[in-house]
Amino acid sequence: MRRKRVFGTLALVLGMTCLLVTGCGEKTKELELFSSKAENADSLQKLVDEFNTLHESEGVKVVLNTPADAGTILKTRLAKNDVPDIMSMGGDVNYTEVQSAGVLADLGQESYMSSIQASYQQMVYDVQKDKEEVAYGVPYATNASGVLYNVDKFEELGLEIPKTWDEFLSVIDTIEAAGEKPFEFTLKDKWTGLCPWNSMAPDLQPDGFTDARLANETTFADTHTEIAEKYLTLLDHAQADFMGTGYDDGNKAFANGEAVMMINGNWAISQFTNANTDFNVDMFAFPASNDPAKNYVTSGVDVLFCVNKDSKNLELAKEFVAFMMEPDHAKQYINEQFAFSAVEGVVQEDAKVDGVKEDIANGKVANFPDHYYPNGFDLAALLSQMSLNHTEGMDRGENIKQFLASCDEKYDISNVQ
Amino acid sequence: MKKRYNDIITALLLVGAALFILLPLYMTILIAIKDPSDMNQVLSFPKLLRLENFADAWRMTKFPRKFFNTAFITVVNLGFTIITNSFVAYAITRNRKKSKFFGIMYYYFISAMFIPFCVIMLPLVVQANIFHLDNVMGITFLYVIFGLPMNTFIYSGAVKSIPIALDEAAKIDGANPLQIFWSVIFPVLKPTTATVAILSFMWTWNDFTMPLVLLSDETQQTLQLAQYVFKSQFSVNYNLAFASYVMVILPILVIYIFCQKWIMSGVVAGAVK
Amino acid sequence: MKKKKRGVEPIYYAGVGIMGVLFFLFHTISFLKGVFYSFTDWKGYGDWNFVGLRNYLQIFKDTDTISAYLFTFKFAIICTILVNIISLILACALNSNIRFKNFVKGVYFLPYMLGSVIVGFIFNFIFANLIPAVGQHLGIDALSTNLLGTTSAIWGIIFVTIWSGCAFNTLIYLSGLQSIDTDVYEAAALDGAKGLRKFTRITFPLLAPSFTINMVLAAKGYLMVYDQIMAMTDGGPGISTTSIAVLIYKKGFGGGQFSYQMANAVVLFIVVVAVSVFQLRVLEKREEKIG
Repeated sequence: MRRKRVFGTLALVLGMTCLLVTGCGEKTKELELFSSKAENADSLQKLVDEFNTLHESEGVKVVLNTPADAGTILKTRLAKNDVPDIMSMGGDVNYTEVQSAGVLADLGQESYMSSIQASYQQMVYDVQKDKEEVAYGVPYATNASGVLYNVDKFEELGLEIPKTWDEFLSVIDTIEAAGEKPFEFTLKDKWTGLCPWNSMAPDLQPDGFTDARLANETTFADTHTEIAEKYLTLLDHAQADFMGTGYDDGNKAFANGEAVMMINGNWAISQFTNANTDFNVDMFAFPASNDPAKNYVTSGVDVLFCVNKDSKNLELAKEFVAFMMEPDHAKQYINEQFAFSAVEGVVQEDAKVDGVKEDIANGKVANFPDHYYPNGFDLAALLSQMSLNHTEGMDRGENIKQFLASCDEKYDISNVQ
Repeated sequence: MKKRYNDIITALLLVGAALFILLPLYMTILIAIKDPSDMNQVLSFPKLLRLENFADAWRMTKFPRKFFNTAFITVVNLGFTIITNSFVAYAITRNRKKSKFFGIMYYYFISAMFIPFCVIMLPLVVQANIFHLDNVMGITFLYVIFGLPMNTFIYSGAVKSIPIALDEAAKIDGANPLQIFWSVIFPVLKPTTATVAILSFMWTWNDFTMPLVLLSDETQQTLQLAQYVFKSQFSVNYNLAFASYVMVILPILVIYIFCQKWIMSGVVAGAVK
Repeated sequence: MKKKKRGVEPIYYAGVGIMGVLFFLFHTISFLKGVFYSFTDWKGYGDWNFVGLRNYLQIFKDTDTISAYLFTFKFAIICTILVNIISLILACALNSNIRFKNFVKGVYFLPYMLGSVIVGFIFNFIFANLIPAVGQHLGIDALSTNLLGTTSAIWGIIFVTIWSGCAFNTLIYLSGLQSIDTDVYEAAALDGAKGLRKFTRITFPLLAPSFTINMVLAAKGYLMVYDQIMAMTDGGPGISTTSIAVLIYKKGFGGGQFSYQMANAVVLFIVVVAVSVFQLRVLEKREEKIG
């Protein structure tokens, strides 16, 4: 009698355990599309819906997952060996991490590969482990980072697009003389502090810096003083609470005319139009140098697709990527996102990015320098610290010296790890 | 004289409560029912009521699914926690003097209380994956297990104060250990059970860290996690975001209003043990 | 029904045993694995090698980790002290013969019921939008910027922590106060003890057990601070509000430092145990002295 109960209890507890452990195995043909960007969620969702409608009869369903803090979450997924079927992310360190974990399928044989612009495919290769030239990731949309400006205010104040740093300074002076705020900065969200840096560094850092720094042949301290100096100059012309303003609040303020310029990328434009549908915005290449030939538009792979090689629905996953690469869909995406396409022949025509269109078409672009920094090198935090010191009235020279020294220190630490 | 003194304290307390505790909550509700265009005076009463905020947030965060997940985790965990943990504590406390095994287990569980969650956070993710516990069922199971140290501690204090004569009387009547526990001890433990119930309810309903690291599948996420996940998608639309917060807070608030006394005495009983 | 007098029913072994095994499997093994990984260079996936104590030695050289520890200690100490002081005052006030007692008590306990992420988001809005708007309106410079974007961001987080943390501690003190025998006060009144003197000489010593509980629980909880920071500042500006737990999560997963952060976690574990044991010994000694 007693023994029976013992076994009964045992069976119950074990049963509960087994139930919990195994009760989650079965899945239909549901594919997860993991996206690391919040800004393009609506646009992706529309295309996903279209794909799902097409495949409804087969019981196929792609589900879009766009978590906050996606980079970190993707890493936990890797740790769990629970890689999403399809991933959409930037061509940055997060991609490097996923790619070097060896979980991605080679997409080199897909039919759309021939229509992809070689320069952008090269950018993907550049951030792969050992710069391996295998198409684990397909570039989809590319972005442009520079100076976003309020077109109406520029006209009102009779301003020309500045081509050099000096012209840029005089534009800033004119704006201030008219009692307007030149810049809206949003450093409460640390990553936005990278935008000016990414725009200036390609123009001002010595050629081959990235490789030389990696090989320990140069330092930030020796080469980046001018960039840091100009960074602080920009802050002097930002709104009072630039450290406490978040990206969302700042976009809203800018769209409502509270500042004339914002240093960010094309991905922010859809946020502006959300906040103010009539907002008239355009962008230009950041004129960091006094030599106009050196002032590149910063453009990189904003969205690339990659596919889990062990996905249960590998063929479907590949099919989804092919669907997205179709010119019509690529066009729809870039139109909604004010982005540029990596697919040849798909051109952005929106006036909101007029100012950089030509440079992009002519290839006067530089990739984001931070895509080449080692993972774990948190430049955004260092820039945020420098900006904070600046608001605290720290001596400029001292601040810059400290900032560059910690850049080198942290770079070395993360390069070893 | 004494009465006036008390009135001053009353007044101070009321002002403090209104200013520091009710004002933020009042603001939360106001924003949740306002139109985005009506945000210049945050604390002014809304010009028009916009209840669509709730509908939109409901759709956007897929509220029903998240609510179901959270409710499932909370309720199932509650049931299993109370039954299993109280029995474990009972078994341990009653037999510590008779067998070394139980003494060891007592210290084993109690000492685990000192291990902060972030120490096991990273490996737990790996471990949970091996056993497929990265879902609603799995996390519920983990909550039952992880609550054990604290609950053993609380329950065993209570069991100690129950006279052993009660067990023995039941034994003479021919009851087996499970019957003794279930029909004699468990009813006496009721106040402690209330404590444990409240603490685990609050823990699982409001927990953020464990769902964050374990529940990456969107269909498995909890309400708290959903607020974090959707932070970037709410973007500048604070009205939607706050409507969503209100929907998460509301169930708790309702429970609180109805069981306030019970909850407070339960929490105290748990901590003072 | 003949049994040895001191025998233990097998069902007890079964129940405790099963839970023990499950606990070992998911809690203890995770912990041991973590300790194990801290001696390797594992990234969370893929191959790994033993690296001995390298990760531990790195902690003392890494300025990010050191500053995270400094922040965490500063935060935990300030919060523990402030929460206890404020709770004690609140408890004394609530214990006096006030009107609407249950209502007021109910309101003060309310924050305990709300999840820290949502509380964090709500206060994020208050700091970023409401307070600066009020500050500008009144022309007060100090209030017109977002506190969370300044070097004082820690105080914003402390405020929110106190806001949600006081409820629990107040309740504990309150129950301690209610258990004090009124005879003691009458005796004290005869001796002429009044006001503050009455509090320091009689009330506070009698609250010793409540004080011990509150100090230990508060310190342990605040050393692991995580949710509020994730919801409010994400560790910024710079890394000025990055606590150890935040650092472990962010760099452990996001920064590719899985094994290094495991070493960090093990150190945190040792710190928490040391602090708790130290507090218990000191405070219990104090209780004994009084008792």
